[in-house]
Amino acid sequence: MNDEQLQARLHASDPAASLPPAAPHEVARLLEDVMATELTTESRETGTRNRGPLTWLVAAAAVLVIAGAGIFGVRALTGDDATPTADDPVVGATQLEVSAPAGNAKCMVPNAETLASVDIAFDGTVTAIDGDRVTLMPSKWYAGGPTDTVEVTAPSDQPTDAGLGFQFSAGERYLVSARDGQVSVCGFSAPYSDDLAAIYAEAFPT
Amino acid sequence: MDESRRERFEAVAPELIEPLRRFLARRTDAATADDVLAETLLVCWRRVAELPEEPLPWAYGVARNCLLNAERSVRRQERLAAKIATVDPPFEAAPAPAEADGDLVVALAALRPDDAELLRLWAWEQLTPAEIATVLDITANAASIRLHRAREKLKDQLRKTAGAAGHEGSREGRRP
Repeated sequence: MNDEQLQARLHASDPAASLPPAAPHEVARLLEDVMATELTTESRETGTRNRGPLTWLVAAAAVLVIAGAGIFGVRALTGDDATPTADDPVVGATQLEVSAPAGNAKCMVPNAETLASVDIAFDGTVTAIDGDRVTLMPSKWYAGGPTDTVEVTAPSDQPTDAGLGFQFSAGERYLVSARDGQVSVCGFSAPYSDDLAAIYAEAFPT
Repeated sequence: MDESRRERFEAVAPELIEPLRRFLARRTDAATADDVLAETLLVCWRRVAELPEEPLPWAYGVARNCLLNAERSVRRQERLAAKIATVDPPFEAAPAPAEADGDLVVALAALRPDDAELLRLWAWEQLTPAEIATVLDITANAASIRLHRAREKLKDQLRKTAGAAGHEGSREGRRP
């Protein structure tokens, strides 16, 4: 049996073959119902879609606490104090900072091998930018965390995009990695792209 | 902003409904299919900005996830019901096609669920490996390798089933 014959044989047993098409008025009603649904302004990965209101409340509280703690300066996070456990409620914030690379730093093309050595890597959306502090809401953790928010701080004497090669802007989605609390630069952290996401996925197989 | 969302959705969604209905009718009972269709469209509406140029495989992927979610919650309910009382096995709602290809059903059931799903997407939804990759959220390369292997496994199974039943060659076109 060749592939065409196999496909034909499978096709012949298609259980939907006898399904009559939907009546046009039913289709119209269905579409109207869907479009009448209230939309949330955020479009988030399905992973966080089903979080209960309590989680968001706790997250909001965590953001307030962190904002208070922020005046004591940025604390580098080593990743040890946020051991991921599946059942624990996800709270708190991971703090990272950006520092300009040494003058002669050379960039290598982002690759999974190098990326795998970072201790924090996540996919998140910028929810707030306050001066030199950027708050991200992670939708997926590849390594480290998980915490509900991540704050990235860049020294105030240089623009946020120094070293990073891009500027965070509110509402946009990013892939960010960090080692010893320092955000990886040179393309290892960047606005979300499928290519980079594939490298992240390769570096941190689930 | 809201108007352009609406326009885009109205342009795309009617085309998706029929294939999605079929996709779901092949995989679940009528009531669940209706629920999951509505849910899938809702996700498309929410994420209309993310809809790719060729939205159908992406929409199949959404439908697949919604269906898996629905089945998970059904399983939860069933476990709960089983704790409360011993119940009869659930009524099989999906009627078999009039002239069921028994050997094929058996052979498909003998495959790993992932392999069987690949074959269904290929033969029933008539998707290319690249489109299957979008549905299953894997790379196109992986999809075409897995599809190839799944086809070979199904052929093996069909040969085995035919052999075991002792009516090998009784159906025209089974063997090349």
